[in-house]
Parts: sequence; C-alpha cells; structure tokens
Amino acid sequence: MGEHEARGWIRCDETAKQMLSRVLGDRAFLLLPPLHRVPLRAGNVVEITGSSPTAKTQILIQAAITCILPKTWNGVHYGGLEKLVLFLDLDCRFDVLRLSDMLKHRLLEAYRIGNGAWWQLEESNVKTQDKSKIVYDEELYVSCMKRFLYLRCYDSLELLSTLKTLHYRIRPQEACGSQVGVLMIDSIGAFHWTDRLSSSLALDKNNRKSLSLTNVVETIVQEMKKLMQVHSLVVIATKATIYEEKYPTNENNGKLSSNNAMPGNASSKAQQPPFREFMPSSWQAFVTHKIFMRKSGDYQSSGQQSLSAYSLEWLQPQLSSIDRFIVDDSGIVIVS
Amino acid sequence: MGFQQVLFSFNLVFSIRFFEDFLLHDLYELAAFAERQANADRLKEGITVMLSLVEVKCRPWLNGMELLEDLQRNKHTLSSGDKGTDSLLQGGLREGQLTELVGPSSSGKTQFCMQAAASVAEKQDGSVFYIDTGNSFSARRIAQFICGSSDAAALRKRVLSRISCHTVYDIYTVFDTLQGLEVALKSQVKMNVNECRLRLLVVDSVSSLITPILGGSGSQGRALMVALGYLLKKLAHEHNIAVLVTNHTVGTGENGKTKPALGETWKSIPHVRLMLSRDHRNNNCTISILKHTSMPSGQTVRTMTRKDNQQCV
Repeated sequence: MGEHEARGWIRCDETAKQMLSRVLGDRAFLLLPPLHRVPLRAGNVVEITGSSPTAKTQILIQAAITCILPKTWNGVHYGGLEKLVLFLDLDCRFDVLRLSDMLKHRLLEAYRIGNGAWWQLEESNVKTQDKSKIVYDEELYVSCMKRFLYLRCYDSLELLSTLKTLHYRIRPQEACGSQVGVLMIDSIGAFHWTDRLSSSLALDKNNRKSLSLTNVVETIVQEMKKLMQVHSLVVIATKATIYEEKYPTNENNGKLSSNNAMPGNASSKAQQPPFREFMPSSWQAFVTHKIFMRKSGDYQSSGQQSLSAYSLEWLQPQLSSIDRFIVDDSGIVIVS
Repeated sequence: MGFQQVLFSFNLVFSIRFFEDFLLHDLYELAAFAERQANADRLKEGITVMLSLVEVKCRPWLNGMELLEDLQRNKHTLSSGDKGTDSLLQGGLREGQLTELVGPSSSGKTQFCMQAAASVAEKQDGSVFYIDTGNSFSARRIAQFICGSSDAAALRKRVLSRISCHTVYDIYTVFDTLQGLEVALKSQVKMNVNECRLRLLVVDSVSSLITPILGGSGSQGRALMVALGYLLKKLAHEHNIAVLVTNHTVGTGENGKTKPALGETWKSIPHVRLMLSRDHRNNNCTISILKHTSMPSGQTVRTMTRKDNQQCV
C-alpha cells in the first residue's frame, strides 16, 4: 500500500450512509408474517414455544422459504434472501412435501403479482382446477430446494456430533456461492427426558464431564455460539411444551389478552411465563427472542369447514398485541 | 494411532473416558491444553482422529431435492382398507411416518388396525409386523377383511402368512422385539431380500405399554416413552415402514371431556393423529384429524364398520 493510499484510507472515513448500506447489506433481516412485528437480524436466537400442534413447524417452513428464495429472478420480485437454510430435525417429523407445496405456492403467487396484467386477462378463462397447470419456473424451484439443507437426529449425541462438524461439512455448499442464513432446530427440548435419565445414571463423580442434561445443553449452546461467530445467521428453534398447562388462569389469560388493553395483566405475565420452563439456564440465556403460541379456538372461514386458529404472543421483547392466524393450503393467514 | 490408544491417552490427560465424552469438550480448549503437554503432537493428532470419527458417524446433510427424491422413490402411501379414510389422508398411511389412532374403548381402533393389516398384506404385497398387547388380535377377523374374489382359500392363506403377530405385555419386551426386528431388517438390506418387504408395523395398543411406567415425578418412565417413540420413528424412516399405533383416551375431569392419554410429551411423537369416535346407535364411526404434517387439522370423515367382506371395493 503506497503512502498516499494509506493516508487517504486514514483520513476518509465512510459516511453514515455508506456505513448503513454496508451494515444493512451484510446483515439482511427477516420480516415475515407471523413474525413481522420484530425484525430479526443475524445473531438473533428466536425460541418459539407451544404445545403440539400449534403451527410451530409451519412458521419454520415459511421462514425457510423466505430465506431460500432469491430477491429477484428473471425480472420477477420474490423478496427472498437467497441464502442456505440448515434444518436440524430433532422431532423427526419434517414433511418435505409441505415445504415443496408451500414453495410452489409462493413461486406462483410472486409470478402472478409480477405479471398482474397478464394474469387478470387470463383469470376469467382459467378455472380453479386448471390453476395447478400454470407452471412455475422449474429451474428456480430446484435451485431453491437445493438451498434447503436437512438433517435428522435421533438423540443428543447425534446432535452434538452434527454441531461439532457442521462448520467443516457445510463448506462445500458455501463454496457454491450461497451463505447460511438461518439455522433451524425443531424442536430443542426433544431429548429432554432421555438426557435427564442419563444424568441420573451418571455415577462417576470424578472430574470427568458426564453426559448430563445441563452439560449437553451447555455444549450445544457453546457450539452454536462458535458457529455464529463464523457465520452471520439467525437461529430459530421451536420448543414443544412437555408439561401440561395446569394454570387455571390460562383461559382467563387468553380472554383478557385478546382485549389488548390490560396493562396489569401484561406485567404479571412478565414475571411468570405462560408455560413451565424446562430448558437449563444456559439455553435460556442464549435466547434473545421468545414467542409463545397457543391454540385459540376455531375460525370459520368463508363458507367452508372451520379451521383451527392459533395465537402468537411475543414474550421477549414483550409486545402487547397478539396475532391470530389460521393455516390453510396457502400457508399462514393472519385473521386479526 | 489407533482409536483405543487415543482414548487411553485422552483418559490420562483430559479425563475423557468414552468416545461420547469427547463430544462434550470444546475443541479449541482441548487443543490449547494439549499444547502445554509433553506429547503435544501426538495429542493433537489424536484430536484429529477423534474428529474424523465423529464425522464418519454423522448422517449426511440432504438438500430439498434429495429429500423429495427419497420420498417419491421409497415412501409410498398404503391403503388403510377403507375408502373414506384413504381420501381423508390423501392416499392412506404413509411409509416413513408414525400414525396414531386415538379413541375411547370400543371405538374401532383394533378393527382399523386389522383392516389396515389385511389391506397391506393383500393389495400391497407387503408383510405386516403386528404387536398385540391386549390379546385382541384375531386372525378370523382379518380373514373377513380379505376381499379377493378368486380362489378364496389360497388367497387367505397367502395374506395371513404375511402377517406375523407378536404378543407382548410390557415395554421392555417390546424394546427387545423391535431391536431384533431392526437387526433383521438391516441384514435383509445387506442380503437384498425383497420379495415381500415389511411395510406396516402395528402396535395395538402403545398406551397400555407406556401407562404402567408413567406416573410419579421420576423421569425414567417418560424417558422410556420417548425412546420407544424415537425407535419407532427411526424404523419407519430408515426402512420405509408405515407405523400404526393406538392410544386410549382419558377424562380431563372438567365437564366430561376426554383427551388422548400419554400426555404432553407424547404429542411430539406421531406424525399423524387421528381421533376415532363411534355413535353406538347406528354404528357410525367418525374419524377426525387431530394433527397432520401437511394438512390442517379438524377435517373429519364418517365410515361404517364392516361386518363381513360383502361391501368390498
């Protein structure tokens, strides 16, 4: 570097505008319904708690689709991040058909909006059953699906091995040009009971690190922190509740909070989460955003059969509003 | 350097005794610690050996297209033997998935299982592994579900020979049975025997195995329950088997409502949960979806229990 160059580099800091564009470009954020209330950036760890089924995996799938879609393709705006998704399936219940269907749906929708005029012209001729015949871009579909990386674990040891080697093993994928955007875990408490049993079986009380629940979770958190230092990624983990809700106030809570105007109620909730926490403190300290899901009765959609509705509540950062949504063939639809 | 040798030196230096312990340690810390030891090079070489062993044990990352290919090639849907149920489930029971039937006593859970077993053995040329915990399996009833028109006796013999029933009364024996099955399936894959593949695994009922070990504040019962769930899911996925289990219902104590037994933790185990209920006045059976991996819950269908094989389709 020449002296002149060096001097120029020292003197001329970037302007605020330049810096902002650099920072924002580097850490694009996710803003996706139903998680649209809080923008999520790289470094955030989001925990979605709820009993099964409360559409937790559905939220993961929609977030994954936003991440694997490109921003634009052949002049059509898709609004994605064009990054890799790592999906760690601890529940072993992931259905790739659902992902594929939702992705096709999104591609068609974006295409329809992008070609509004053409679509409106054709729509009168196209009957509903013919809609499936309208093709999406196969090449784009395949490239998106290839950005979705999946691995299932049947116990904690497999999870630990995966996290330990993850950095090395995603290098080939990263070499192809795309970066990891989101790491998803479905669901984090899956091996809680088996790990608890193995901690009670650990008889060895020497200075040996045993496979107890706290040690396992601590190591998981540690490995994930290391990953996040190298990759700029968002972590989204679901957590199925493992205890039955015994609080008699539960139903009142739902009613009151649907009014959205009970400050007293909100503060009491801050002290006590609406579910019984079971994850060790190392995990709780790792999480930056907390969301709580619950079933909220049935929703009568126009003329058809009733669908289950779900409500989503932000516990951290604490927001007073509660979003209610249903899940239909097109995905999550916010109803109030 | 051999694995045993590595482990021996690791035990001395890091007090790591088992391979599993290695996973709990921070690699950078280990490397830094090794640096200060006399035999630093050998220890660091050992860390590399261990890490490569971890890598070998790991499952590969699959991308979306590979998952889809596996699904289309290996995971088919099996007819449950009932048209209404099949259309409700968009084809029937899916291989690789665990389907749970929930319902009160005499709501038709066992009938559903036997009908599915007969259907898979007859129409899909698959064999069926049937775990019976309550002495409710009936070969005669299964024979009634067979509908082939030609040469009834030979067909019945062929279908029934494909269904193997295992009477088991406790969860420990079930683990034994299933682990034996896993070993048999693995050796079958190696020998490439494929004339009559195992396609359906039935556990009727899974709740009667688990309920006795639950209860109390200890985690042992729940750990066994989760382990059984994962063993079933692993068998289903790795060997492309549809797993069908039954569960009973318990009262919630408030206004006479009932809910599935086995509690909150079990909810995360099945892929598909179906609720059976029967109207005893007209023998109508209603099946509704409590949970499905790709369909909204709440859809229902009505079916009739067949008394014989005359309504065959």
